[in-house]
Amino acid sequence: MSVIAKEKPRAFDSTAGPGPRRSHRLVRKIPLGYLVPAVVILLAFAAYPIFVLVRMAFSDVGPSNIVGVWNWVGFANFGTVFGLPEFWRGLARTAGLAAALLAVNLIVGFLVASVLSTTGRITNVVLGIMVFVWALPPIVSGSVWKFLLDDSGAVNTILHSVGLHPVSWLSSPGLALWTVAAVVAWAGIPFSALILRGGLLAITPEVIEAAAIDGAGYWRTQFAVVLPLLRPTMWILGILTVLYAFKSFDFFYVLTQGGPGTATNTLPVLSYYTAFSNFDMSTGATIAVISMLAVALFAIPYVRSIRQEPEE
Amino acid sequence: MRRRTQAVRVAAVAASLLLVATGCTMSNDSAANAPAGTTTLKFWNYYTGTQLTWLQAQTKKFEKANPKIKVDLVQVVGSQQDQKLLASVATGNGPDVLINNIVVDNPTLVAGGVMKDMTSMWNSYQDKAQYPSTAAWKTNGKVYNLMSYTNLIGLYYNKDILKASGIDSPPTTLTEFQDDMAKVTAGGTYKALAESGAPTVEGAWLFAPQLLGLGVNYCNFSGKKVTTAFDRVAGWSKKGYIPLSTATWDQNTAWQQFMTGKYAFGLNGNWQLGNVKSAKFAYGTTEFPKPTDGTSTVYPGGEGIAIGAKSKHPAEAWKYIQSVFLSKDAAETSFAQTGSIPLRKDASDTQAIKTNTYVQPFLTAAQKTGTWPNNPKTADMQTSLGKAISSVISGQQSASAGAQSAIDTIKKAKASGGGTCK
Repeated sequence: MSVIAKEKPRAFDSTAGPGPRRSHRLVRKIPLGYLVPAVVILLAFAAYPIFVLVRMAFSDVGPSNIVGVWNWVGFANFGTVFGLPEFWRGLARTAGLAAALLAVNLIVGFLVASVLSTTGRITNVVLGIMVFVWALPPIVSGSVWKFLLDDSGAVNTILHSVGLHPVSWLSSPGLALWTVAAVVAWAGIPFSALILRGGLLAITPEVIEAAAIDGAGYWRTQFAVVLPLLRPTMWILGILTVLYAFKSFDFFYVLTQGGPGTATNTLPVLSYYTAFSNFDMSTGATIAVISMLAVALFAIPYVRSIRQEPEE
Repeated sequence: MRRRTQAVRVAAVAASLLLVATGCTMSNDSAANAPAGTTTLKFWNYYTGTQLTWLQAQTKKFEKANPKIKVDLVQVVGSQQDQKLLASVATGNGPDVLINNIVVDNPTLVAGGVMKDMTSMWNSYQDKAQYPSTAAWKTNGKVYNLMSYTNLIGLYYNKDILKASGIDSPPTTLTEFQDDMAKVTAGGTYKALAESGAPTVEGAWLFAPQLLGLGVNYCNFSGKKVTTAFDRVAGWSKKGYIPLSTATWDQNTAWQQFMTGKYAFGLNGNWQLGNVKSAKFAYGTTEFPKPTDGTSTVYPGGEGIAIGAKSKHPAEAWKYIQSVFLSKDAAETSFAQTGSIPLRKDASDTQAIKTNTYVQPFLTAAQKTGTWPNNPKTADMQTSLGKAISSVISGQQSASAGAQSAIDTIKKAKASGGGTCK
């Protein structure tokens, strides 16, 4: 953008000849003009819906007045939500999901990235498959997992064939959350691996060679050299993973619908069903707003990290 | 102006809340390129299987008879129909014709201004006398929903498994039913029962008849009878009569399981009578087993038909509804192909229905159904029961805790809906 700002004045000065003052104004306006579509889209599809969502959280809204007058109720909806035991359970489940995703995506993602940090035909094929998995719509991959993890599905058939007892992956209240978390993590591993692979490839070979000359073995090099160098990447990936956990809905919708009972009611799931099954729009919106605040809390360090990156 | 601003607001919030529902799609069936001078009706429906095949055939017949009217059959995910309809009021691009899960969402959709007042159309309908008064769903004296058929729950059974298990006849009481399920389970080869226990209105719909026959409904949902019913279902889960995954099965999944031929019994609706014909085993149907000292009573269900409040072609939409849903031909073909029980008198009296042994239990059940609560929070009440029963089946809650949570949440929802019930 700064390049355009420096070069354009000369062009305007020599050809159009509107005078230096006018061309200077145009130059200042043109780069801003480029931003207009993005700003309009952002305002229309992000900022305004969020504003209305927040307003709904502070109002009494149901099916009878969704198109009509919304009575302002202040923080009453927040009081209602904080008084719901299911909200706190949902928050705990969401935190559990975030922890599971963090562990799997960082550890498995790092291992996969390490294996794929070389170049070659096999690596390219594996990377291609991973991108395919990552790009699959959750409704599709979720349906396949639902079929595989059913009590009489393929996974249990395999377990049975090797003499093991079948497992109620999606219908056991103690296991369902972690099963869905595993599927969500599975879908996220390609993203983590690709990000970490990028970080690994950015480490100069000289650093690794220096560690080898100093007598460091493979694992010591990984833990003492590679991981510290990957820390900024992992930090950003970790924050993105937590954000992902707080907005993860689709796999829950396909696999369990929040059940069995309420065992997989994370905050996004609870918000959705409260708003659209029970038609308690205000409470659903309030839960969504609280989730958003939690996400914003994690977004702040993310934005700071991004801004600090060029300095590093 | 103010209404328009609010409409934009609602559209915006619907968009933000629906961002999470990435899987929701709509697809058009036909009439994409209608010639000029042709009226195109948008019909939002969630029919699948034989019901969809029937609808497509009926629609084609209608279009042939009315060349200036084309009908777009827009497929909507059933569980998302209500929210899409509510959002459509705000955006003004709703359907001309719609079906809805009438027993769950009628009060919500009426309150949301989704459906057009059809009172004058219904009152001037020449065949109105063929329908019982319950076919027209009224709010404040105005007709918003019509029913052309009813759907009820009954018990399907696999005759081959019953024979192999030494069971001579299907059960008529819950006690007999439990004895039979014990015999099947003890055999070790087959499973006993495939039913929905999902934490939704479907789980509630399947469980409620255990109490309805004892006079317990959403309006008086409390007491020892409720605890006993929850105890019974918890026992079914513990004894292996129903698999743990029942806690997440919807009715379609439960039906697929029954059709595998591995289950002795399947609790499901008469709309599966069309699909059961493809079973690779001998089958039969009977009424929902009655509780001790009670009767076999189920809730009446089925789709409501309505005209969208924002429809620009209400006259054509009404013509379509009369032809495709309310006519005698529609009732007869619907029964023949899907098993739906017609409410229209001259259709339900036909020989084809009277001599069909599989439909008789459902016809009997239709004569003595339970009454739904007339409360704006009826969806909330039913979902609360669904969650409780799902949690008990899965073992997330004990039977007594599940019963108590159902009693408390239903009471709370009822009060929140203004306390009205009948």
